Amino acid sequence: MALIAIDSADPRPIYVQIVDEVRRAVVVGSLKPNEPIPSVRQLASELGVNPNTVKQAYQELERLGVTYVERGNGTYVAAGRSIRDERVSLATAVAERALRDATRNGLAVEELIDALERVAQRNGRRRKP
Amino acid sequence: MSILPTSVAGATAIRAIAVTKRYGKLTALDSLDLAVPDGSIYLLAGQNGAGKSTALRHILHLEEPDAGTITVLGYDILRDAARARAEVGYVADGELSPYGWLRVGALIAHHASYFPTWDAAYAARLIAELQIDLTPRVRTLSRGQARRVAFVLALAHRPKLLLLDEPTDGLDPVVRERVLHLLAGHAAEWPTTMLVSTHLVQEVERLADHVGIIKQGRLIGQMPRDYLRGTLNRFRFVAAESWRVPNEAPVVVVERSESGHEQEWTIWGEPGVVREIFDGPDVDLRSVTPLTLTDAVVALLSIEEAA
Repeated sequence: MALIAIDSADPRPIYVQIVDEVRRAVVVGSLKPNEPIPSVRQLASELGVNPNTVKQAYQELERLGVTYVERGNGTYVAAGRSIRDERVSLATAVAERALRDATRNGLAVEELIDALERVAQRNGRRRKP
Repeated sequence: MSILPTSVAGATAIRAIAVTKRYGKLTALDSLDLAVPDGSIYLLAGQNGAGKSTALRHILHLEEPDAGTITVLGYDILRDAARARAEVGYVADGELSPYGWLRVGALIAHHASYFPTWDAAYAARLIAELQIDLTPRVRTLSRGQARRVAFVLALAHRPKLLLLDEPTDGLDPVVRERVLHLLAGHAAEWPTTMLVSTHLVQEVERLADHVGIIKQGRLIGQMPRDYLRGTLNRFRFVAAESWRVPNEAPVVVVERSESGHEQEWTIWGEPGVVREIFDGPDVDLRSVTPLTLTDAVVALLSIEEAA
């Protein structure tokens, strides 16, 4: 499994997908604080995407405080940020996507929450770590 | 008069103004305007026979226009073609070289001798990555093999500008993927403007940051990819069957379909204007989805027809 994977069929712009993927990698621990993330050139050629798109994503990550830049030395995962905050914001993004999908299907919020509970029960609820 | 934007801000690597070319009765380029921004990866899209390859050949002055001017990397191409070509890499949609009797290795060496900026180490890396055999004679190469050699010739002198005419044509899926990744890596390593002409739009979906549409030898629109994302979207909503976009609204409904009680319309228009349309009380907007580049190109062609 690649550290950062994108999907051309995904309606999210590619730079947003890269931002989300890096944040996901931080939350699940495959990227650790103060570890470097791939250079723009590496990631552009690995994903076959426009390097300006990767730059745009990296600027956004820096702005969000997920990463920091060491001049002439690359981009690193920020350390100060709590993983808990990141988890909350990742969960928010997942919820927003689910809610959008529900709305598109003409479902009310309550119906979505009910269904989530039901499915989670059935699959054996994942405990909070 | 086109309703699509055609002007591009900022410095350009290529600027063509009112270029016209006729072959007998056929008008191949009809007052073509083209502005390729410096450092962009610009997709030139259009149907077969629209004039894409002809436009590229004119940019290198491989053909003489009947009218118009073309500036390439600051050079007037009609006067300074040789100097411009030294800084351009070109993957042509056609014969690799007239020297069919040469072996591939000799062709590459011959080509390299013309370019002071030739990077032998990079050439070797490309030859390895594209799995090119240097021993066969050029005339015996398949289309796909010739295309791979063309990439080495075009890239290894690290040109400021790359013209790629149907670059992935004839390549098998594995090599095609490798080529697209090579191009992305190349653009990241050296500042390069790329003009890509292809009818296989989905292949450059991840690369292109600008798009221009050519139709019957005319450029009907050119714009940044991000601009397209704001102005061309698919809207799913619920409304009465009789619901229509107000006549005075400056938008174009490109496509209309419905499934059950839901409508799905593809609409072109400034984001603010479109938002206002769906703010009304008798319409319930469910989702807004941007189009893929492929769908966007098809939509842009039909917007022009609707206008």
